[in-house]
Amino acid sequence: MLTVNGLTAGYGGSQVLHGVSLHVAAGETVVVLGPNGHGKTTLLRAISGLLRPTAGTVELDGVNLTHLPTEAIVAAGVVHIPQGDLPFPEMTVLENLLVGAYRPEAWAERHERLERVFALFPRLAERRKQLARSLSGGERRMLALGRGLMSKARVLMIDEPSLGLAPLVIEQVYNTIHEIKRSGLSILLVDENADHVAGLADRMYLLEAGTLVREGPAEELLRDQALLAAYLG
Amino acid sequence: MEKLLQAVYSGILYGSVYGLMALGLTLIWGSLRMLNLAHGALYLAGGYIAFFLISQTGLPVYAAFLLAVLGAAIIGLVLQLTLINPLLDNPNRDSASLIATLGTSIVIESAVLLLFGPQVKQIPAVLEGSFKVGTVLINYHGLLVIGVAVVCLFLMTLFLRASRYGMAIRAVSQNMDAAKLMGIPILTVFLIVMCVSAALAGLAGVLLSSIFYIFPTAGLAPMLRALVVTIFGGLGSVPGTIWAAYIIGLLEAFLQVYLGASWALPGLFLFMIVMLVLRPNGLFGLGEVRRL
Repeated sequence: MLTVNGLTAGYGGSQVLHGVSLHVAAGETVVVLGPNGHGKTTLLRAISGLLRPTAGTVELDGVNLTHLPTEAIVAAGVVHIPQGDLPFPEMTVLENLLVGAYRPEAWAERHERLERVFALFPRLAERRKQLARSLSGGERRMLALGRGLMSKARVLMIDEPSLGLAPLVIEQVYNTIHEIKRSGLSILLVDENADHVAGLADRMYLLEAGTLVREGPAEELLRDQALLAAYLG
Repeated sequence: MEKLLQAVYSGILYGSVYGLMALGLTLIWGSLRMLNLAHGALYLAGGYIAFFLISQTGLPVYAAFLLAVLGAAIIGLVLQLTLINPLLDNPNRDSASLIATLGTSIVIESAVLLLFGPQVKQIPAVLEGSFKVGTVLINYHGLLVIGVAVVCLFLMTLFLRASRYGMAIRAVSQNMDAAKLMGIPILTVFLIVMCVSAALAGLAGVLLSSIFYIFPTAGLAPMLRALVVTIFGGLGSVPGTIWAAYIIGLLEAFLQVYLGASWALPGLFLFMIVMLVLRPNGLFGLGEVRRL
């Protein structure tokens, strides 16, 4: 479904990704594990077009998305939920979610989508009229996920959803990602903590210094404690 | 009492027109993060297009007004496509866009001077007639101007609050990368913002030139007021801008009525300096730059 081939990207003169190739099949949850500062966020930014890749291709079902503007990549169904907080701080929860359905295809179904998101995140339904900046860290992360689900995503790319959250909240966030997975959506998740993704990932890649160094079924890689310790420390 | 009434009436009139001008500036600041120094020239364009249509073609005044607003929007469109878009990826975008828009305003002012000469012109009013409250003369046209401005400010607020495009504009101003990831086409949003902003400036030009006169440098004073209003309102905040417009409009009218016309501008700037010392983020700034 999503195929990334030899993707190379960086900032200014410094190259961060050195020819990354990976693929995500329909309904599959793929996790890219890697320590901080080794290019996980850059990888997602290069796929979603926020960062122009200098080489390589991104394809969705054989359609080349590589040099399209971000809005066209979103329209094709590759939706990136970025790292960090404060999506649209001065907008309400409801407005944030509606903006997530900005593309005409999703906008037409916004009411049904809103109901689904509110069913998945009852907390957001309670706070629908509150400004996003008044939410707690966990609620903001829920909002970011919910906003991604408002789009007509076919592949959801999630950037380290546990960042800066308390352990109890982290558990809730990953439980929700489990539910999203169960709905049949393809997921590409980048993370630095192997424990978080155990039981969630179908297949995994290990990213080190901008290169994918290992690939395999999640169970197999996660069993290899020595390998994980060596890569993630 | 009559002085008071005069000041309040003029203040609301000024505030309404400054609100239109400043809202355009603040929209551009909020989304494109640039100061549009051609905003006064768009005001001028609106006024002169209306004048030209009325004096040369004999169109009804209201039709000329609508076409003038449309004309200003088209100038905004051309400005965005030919000058601003190519500068977006420029590393010196801030200074480059200042120079480009200042240049545009000089071009438009000079073109007006060439085409229409330096003499002051007047646009006829849509509604003739007036009434007196005591000695204060209130004409119907002035009331119409207030009404049109208030309705436009209200519609703009509604557009930004509740419509799909309005939400996209606010999203872009609050977090540009996240907005891109929602599938919002940034360049289209910029184009819409520039056209709406230019139309608002053009409308202000049309409305005010039918009360005062218009001449080649007539855009400068309203733009200065709009700048004061946007800074006072907290750059990028729409409700703050509208409140600030009426406060500044009333302040100017009171200074004129009670201290004399020459006090208006120095008074406004003195007020702005004091405000910047006391509330550096503007009237509604809450310790951070507020966004749309």
